[in-house]
Amino acid sequence: MPAAVPVRTEVAGRTLKVTNLDKVLYPLVGFTKAQVIAYYVNVAPAMLTHIEDRGVTFKRWPDGITAEPFFTKRAPDHRPEWISTCTGPGDKGKGIEYPVLSEVAALAWSANLAALEIHAPMARCGDIEAPTILVFDLDPGEPATITECCQVALSIQSVLDTVGLVAFPKTSGSKGMQLYVPLNTPHTHQHASDFALAVAQLLEKQQPKAVTSMMTKKERTNRIFIDWSQNTRHKTTIAPYSLRGKDRPTVSTPISWDEVSNGADDEWLSFEADDVLERIEEHGDLFAAVATLEQALPVARG
Amino acid sequence: MARPIWSGSVSFGLVNIPVKLFSAVSRKNVRFNQIESSTGARVKQKRVSSVSGEEVDYDDIVKGYELPTGDYVTIAPEELDALDPEAARTIDLQEFVDLVDIDPVFYDSAYYLAPSPDTQKPYKLLVTAMEEAGKVGIAKFVMRSKQYLAAIRPVDGRLMLSTMVYADELVAPSAVELFSGLDDVEVTERELGMARQLISSLEADFEPDKFTDTYRLAVLEMIDRKVAGEEAISSAPAEEEMGSVVDLMAALEASVAEAKKARTRHPAATATESSVKKPANKKAATKSAAKKTSAKKPAKKSAAKKNTTAKKAAAKKAS
Repeated sequence: MPAAVPVRTEVAGRTLKVTNLDKVLYPLVGFTKAQVIAYYVNVAPAMLTHIEDRGVTFKRWPDGITAEPFFTKRAPDHRPEWISTCTGPGDKGKGIEYPVLSEVAALAWSANLAALEIHAPMARCGDIEAPTILVFDLDPGEPATITECCQVALSIQSVLDTVGLVAFPKTSGSKGMQLYVPLNTPHTHQHASDFALAVAQLLEKQQPKAVTSMMTKKERTNRIFIDWSQNTRHKTTIAPYSLRGKDRPTVSTPISWDEVSNGADDEWLSFEADDVLERIEEHGDLFAAVATLEQALPVARG
Repeated sequence: MARPIWSGSVSFGLVNIPVKLFSAVSRKNVRFNQIESSTGARVKQKRVSSVSGEEVDYDDIVKGYELPTGDYVTIAPEELDALDPEAARTIDLQEFVDLVDIDPVFYDSAYYLAPSPDTQKPYKLLVTAMEEAGKVGIAKFVMRSKQYLAAIRPVDGRLMLSTMVYADELVAPSAVELFSGLDDVEVTERELGMARQLISSLEADFEPDKFTDTYRLAVLEMIDRKVAGEEAISSAPAEEEMGSVVDLMAALEASVAEAKKARTRHPAATATESSVKKPANKKAATKSAAKKTSAKKPAKKSAAKKNTTAKKAAAKKAS
């Protein structure tokens, strides 16, 4: 084994200490930490837009994906001084200082911590009480797969059409997918959560065999669980372009609605680090509008 | 809003100042409930009679003091109150001492002593006089049918009360057997010098803000993860030491190239890699087949999917 000597490197004007570059984090395909860091540096131009102003949570696999991961919410004390933080939800009303990744070097830093997964909240640092995005997290209960997720995603979009809202789909990089509805106008978590629940319950009523809005495992068997509760204040969702700690270096990948349609027709939607970089070169950032498009949720009557 | 846990007055000499007592500490322990593991049901505690086994109403419970004979003397709350009704409402300042003379072992719980709105003046007078004298007041008072010894001191223009344990409640060190023989141990000047050096290298001003209950936070985060459906934890390895500065991408490329070379040297590694196809390719192959059948028979479609899951499981095992 190569020695685990820390290397002091320079990236985008920052000095960063990296360690164990040769360590294999995805043993099945021999994907090393160097490749993880390289992926995050290369995906940074597209990814940063979606996380740069949010206090993120890391899920870390320092010993690779076959070992136990752990979550890091609080920004580590031993971080470089150029890693900023922002206060996010903590326990008993007290905030936690979350790390903020706002530049290429910051993504290289978190990758070096083996933070394969980066989870982001729906609200920005400036106002953690106001989500800028509403999310539908579609979680397939076995034996349902992403195929059924795509079918439900299409149903959700047709409900959203009736109130003039546009959603943007991405794979979760694991089994399911998410739809992001950009808001970028003042909303509360409660409003987003209520709306998402209403949509979930509507679809559950229309397609009781395919959809559930209930978290209980029993209800989820062979159904798509529309997890509306991801819109609550303290929740985070896997960030666009984040790797996943799965067998392979799969990525939570923004996809087009055409791909969702094909996906509903059984085309498998799974993208790995290299695929994603190629896709960005070809299509640009399919999620770009999520950061800017201003939409308003309908106000509940009564 | 904080709620007073006791109200009465501070009295010393001829002065009597109405005050209310507020807890100055809010403990942040993580609280667990008892759950039956097989059903997830909360475990309830019942108060039952040791004789009949029947549940006993709160109203039917009295305090009992066990006698050496095994019999009980029962006592009603009113009987306790009647013992010293005066003390029950008064914090009686008895003497003033120097703070450094009180060993921390005596301190129990910390409280704020707050004045009522119309007695701020005499309260302020007492605080100011105590600040000037630089002394701590020693007092006795009764709360919840126990007489407390208390130290009262001014802090930033307010009075704080710390309940104290009584001298006869302290456990003598001789009760700890492991201390015996300690007096006969000798240390050399050189050893002592090293210990002194270690202490002076760790000298710091006490900043309470620096310390948090990291265990409690870890427990809460673990609970968060469980709620989110995630499991498992371990701790991060520490990272140390430095080399000279190189370009990050160059370092990454060098590492990847090295890893590739290493893999070609190990046939086992290459075999693993080539035997596992990327799901994207694999799916592209199964896609058309799945589509054809799925158009007519949804049953077949799920069969095709099961096949994929099986492959995935096989891939997992290969790792």
